[in-house]
Formats: sequence, C-alpha cells, structure tokens
Amino acid sequence: MREEIEVLQRALERERFARKSAEKILEEKSRNLFTISRELKLTNLHLQQLLDEKSSVLEGIFENINDAYLVIDLQGNILKMNDIAENLFGYNLNEEQLNFTDLIYESDKEYTKNSFITLKEKGSLSNYTIRIVTKSNKIKWIQINASLLFDRNKKPKEAQGIVRDITAIKELELQKEKILHQLEKSNEELKEYAHIVSHDLKSPLRSINALISWIKHDNLDKFDENSLKNFELIEDTLSTMDNLISDILEYSSADADSSNQTKVDLNHLVLELKKVLYIPNHIAINIKNKLPNLVGDKIKFQQLFQNLISNSVKFIDKEKGIIDIDVQDKNTYYQFSVADNGIGIEEKYHKKIFKIFQTLNKNKESTGIGLSIVKKIVNLYQGDIWLESYPQKGTKFIFTLKK
Amino acid sequence: MKGIVFTEFLDLVEDKFGLEMVDKIISQSKLESKGYYTAVGTYSFSEMLQLLQNLSLNTKISIDNLLLVFAEHFFSVLVRDYPSVIASYKDPIEMISSVESHIHVEVKKIYPNAELPTFTVVEKCNDYLSMIYKSGRAMHYFGLGLMKKTFEHFNTTAKIDFQKIKDDGTEVKFIIQKIT
Repeated sequence: MREEIEVLQRALERERFARKSAEKILEEKSRNLFTISRELKLTNLHLQQLLDEKSSVLEGIFENINDAYLVIDLQGNILKMNDIAENLFGYNLNEEQLNFTDLIYESDKEYTKNSFITLKEKGSLSNYTIRIVTKSNKIKWIQINASLLFDRNKKPKEAQGIVRDITAIKELELQKEKILHQLEKSNEELKEYAHIVSHDLKSPLRSINALISWIKHDNLDKFDENSLKNFELIEDTLSTMDNLISDILEYSSADADSSNQTKVDLNHLVLELKKVLYIPNHIAINIKNKLPNLVGDKIKFQQLFQNLISNSVKFIDKEKGIIDIDVQDKNTYYQFSVADNGIGIEEKYHKKIFKIFQTLNKNKESTGIGLSIVKKIVNLYQGDIWLESYPQKGTKFIFTLKK
Repeated sequence: MKGIVFTEFLDLVEDKFGLEMVDKIISQSKLESKGYYTAVGTYSFSEMLQLLQNLSLNTKISIDNLLLVFAEHFFSVLVRDYPSVIASYKDPIEMISSVESHIHVEVKKIYPNAELPTFTVVEKCNDYLSMIYKSGRAMHYFGLGLMKKTFEHFNTTAKIDFQKIKDDGTEVKFIIQKIT
C-alpha cells in the first residue's frame, strides 16, 4: 500500500514537473512568436509603403507616358489602357469590352498572329508595325513594343504594350516613295526628250549647212567679199549650234549608271586624252604626281578630264601655255587639280560658271555646258569642285572624288 | 527526439503494464530529464533507448516487438493529431512512398531541427513498393508498425518483408506487396 502511494507520488511529481517544463517551453515559444509577429508587422508595413510608392510611380508612368499603353490578357482582351490609347483607338473600356485582334486591319491579321506567337515564345516583341481600324473607321499605322507579364509561378499571365501612332510618318514615307518614283520617271522622259530634240534639231541644221555650202559654191563668182564673209559667219554659227546640241546630249546622259563600274587607271586615261585631244604645240600638259586608280565609269572620268583640259586649252593666251594636273591623297577621297596660265576668271563669276549655258567668252567653241557636265560628274562621285583664279594669271580647278 | 514520442510511449506502457512499470523503467534508467516528459519538449534519444531496454528486460519482450506495438499505437496518434495529412491520401502505397517527399517535408516545416530517417523508393507500382530505410537509430520496426497500420487504415492488407542491408539495422530494405 505504501509502495503504491510512493509510485503514485512519483507519477504525480513527474506530471507536475512535466507541466511546469511544458509551461516554460510554451511561454518561451509564445514570446518568440510575439517578437516574430511584431517584426512581421513592421516588415509588412514597410512593404506596404514600398508597394504604395511603386504603385503610384507606375500609375504616374501609365498616365503620363506620351505613347499609348495597354495591357491585354493572353486571349487579346484589353484589360487596361491609358487616355492616349483610348484616344488612339476611339474606344472606352468603361463602356465596352474590346479585343485587340478586332482592331487589326484585315490583311495584317495573319502577320499579327505570327507576331503574337513570337511574343509568347520570346517574351517580348519590338517595333512590330501594323495597321488598325479605329472606332471611327480610320486606318492608322501603329508600331508596338510589347512584353509578357508573368504571375508568381513564372507563367505568362498578360502582355503589356506601348503603342506608337506612326500614321503620319508612314504616310510621308509612302509619299516619298511615290515622288521618288515620279521623279525617276520624269528624269527618264527628260533624257529621252533630250535625245529626240537633239536628233531632230541636228538634221535640219545639217540640211541648212548643206544648202548654205551649195549656195556659196554655186555663186562664188557672184557674191562680193562682204557676202562671203557673212557666209563664213553663218557656217561658224551653225557649227557652234551643232556643238551646243551635242553637249546638251552629253549633259543629259551624265547621270549615275552603276552598270559600268570598273577600276580605271586615271594616269593612263589622261595620257591617252593628251593624244586624242587637239593640243596646240605651245601648250604643255604636265602630270605632277602619278594619278591613282579609281572605281567608276571610265567614260565619265574621260568627260571630266577632257572638259577641264579643253577648257584650259581654250583660254590660254600666253605664248607658252602650261597645264599642270596634280593629285593629293586625302584618306577617304582624292583631291585633284587642273591649273593653267590662261586668262583667268574674275571672282564674281566663280559660282556662275558651273551653271549650264553660262559662258563668259563669246567664243564660237564655247557652249557653256562643259563645266556643268564636270560639276555633275564630280557630284556623282560624292565630290566637290571649286576654283582659284586671278585674271590674266590663270585658273586652277580643284575637285575631289571619293575613293 | 520529440517529447510526444516519450509521452505516448509512457502512456502506452501504463496502459499495457500499469503505472508501476512506468515507475520502474524510469527509476531503472539514468535520465537527464528525470522522466519529466512533455509533448512540446525535445529529449535525448538515449533516454528512449534506456526506457526500451528496461521495458524489454522487465517484460521479456524483444525491443523490436515493443517498437512494433508502439508504432501501431503511434499511428493512431498521427491520425488523431494530423487528420488532414492522412486524408490527403487515397492509397497506402501512395502514402508510404511519399513519406520522404511529402510527410517529412511537412514535419521539417514545424520542427526544423527534427532528425528524420530517410526512405528511398527503389521500385514502385500499383500494388508493390520497395524502399530503403536509413537511420542511425535503427528503428526499422517502428517503421514496420506504421506501415502495417497504414494498410489497415485504408482497409487493405499487405505482406511486408524487410532485409537488413547493414546488420545493425541502420539500413534496411522494405519489400511491400499489396494483397488484393
């Protein structure tokens, strides 16, 4: 009996101590929990403030951005858009539901479908350009930059896009293309016209020339000296006119033609020109530095040097004529010069001489087209031309050609 | 070791052998806790070992068999205290095979310091499961008892065999065949 009581007493003691230790453990745990919950509350407060801050920043961006901004779900339903988007599309989400695909211009729908697949695969899409139809049935060009928005499990949830109205730019582009096309066409017509005109003008000229020479020959004994002199003047004028027409033809064909691009040895080209051109004995042509090779149209390079050399020859009035041709390498381009010791050009005419039909000298050989051809060719090779000249001393034409 | 294991163990001893046996094995063991166990405390595993050894000595029942009976009792504690975990399973093989991947994960959330055995599934199909138990405490009989009760809980029966991979019982392969 006594033993049983002792067993029970010990059991009771264990229970009591166990209870006390449990109370102690639990108290400690609840204190811990209290501290943790206080910390959590503070953290939550901090996070809430951070969230409010970020939300207001985002809200600000959403409303103040200069482009249309919208959020769509993966089926294309527009969930959210800013005022600019509402104005652009003409729809108000508060009044009606809207699916982005319904806005798209019929023939751009297929392209859009593919772009949407790209967006889903890559997560973003940039500069994707399509046409849309607004509520008021206007067609607009838009450019979209979009990206996917993900949920907590990193699964795509929605997509956001910034939409730019590029209708005006697109229209200008189309207009530009149209104008360019028209310009090409009218240039072609003009060239053809020049061909026809020069051909048509030349044949009556030849007839007149023939008739005049017949009349002259038939009446050599009947005409007095004065009349014969006048006949000579008529012949000179006719020849000038013939040159003029030839030059116009040449000018009109001095356009860019990429089909004849070859490597041209300019040194060799000038040496050949020296043989072909009429150079009076009292004029010497010197090449100061060996001229380089350049890629381009050989005929045009020929026209270029021929015109400049002939020009110099024409205006040399000194007993000993000198024409110096030189070149300098300027890295991305070459700078050439053709200098003579001729009559020179007054500064006030330096600009004028490059214009078509401008001739300062009423010389029968001068048609006033040569230098305008030169300028046209130089410009064709992205170069520039200018001159240094002093009356009575001579003229130096300087021009550049891109390498 | 979690206190609930001690309190449930002593409750079971009292239930089966009387309060005197509880008193006896506690006084025969050298316990740091003096036997003042509470479910919310944590105590050394060596105390459980001493209690088991002394109970075995006094009752002439092997430790393995004691563990088996204790595990069967302990299963009912789990059903009582964690019904939602058990209810999330429809099949005993599913439940046993996910001890490591689900149940122990949940245990670790509540008791980050718990030292748990590992159960690696070797082979599994609808009515067959083999897995390897590993624990320094060599309590595979405890596992066996829980498994048996699991099948009972789902009103099924199974033949559960095991092979010791290590003689000391720290690594044991369980082979479970559901009887249909």
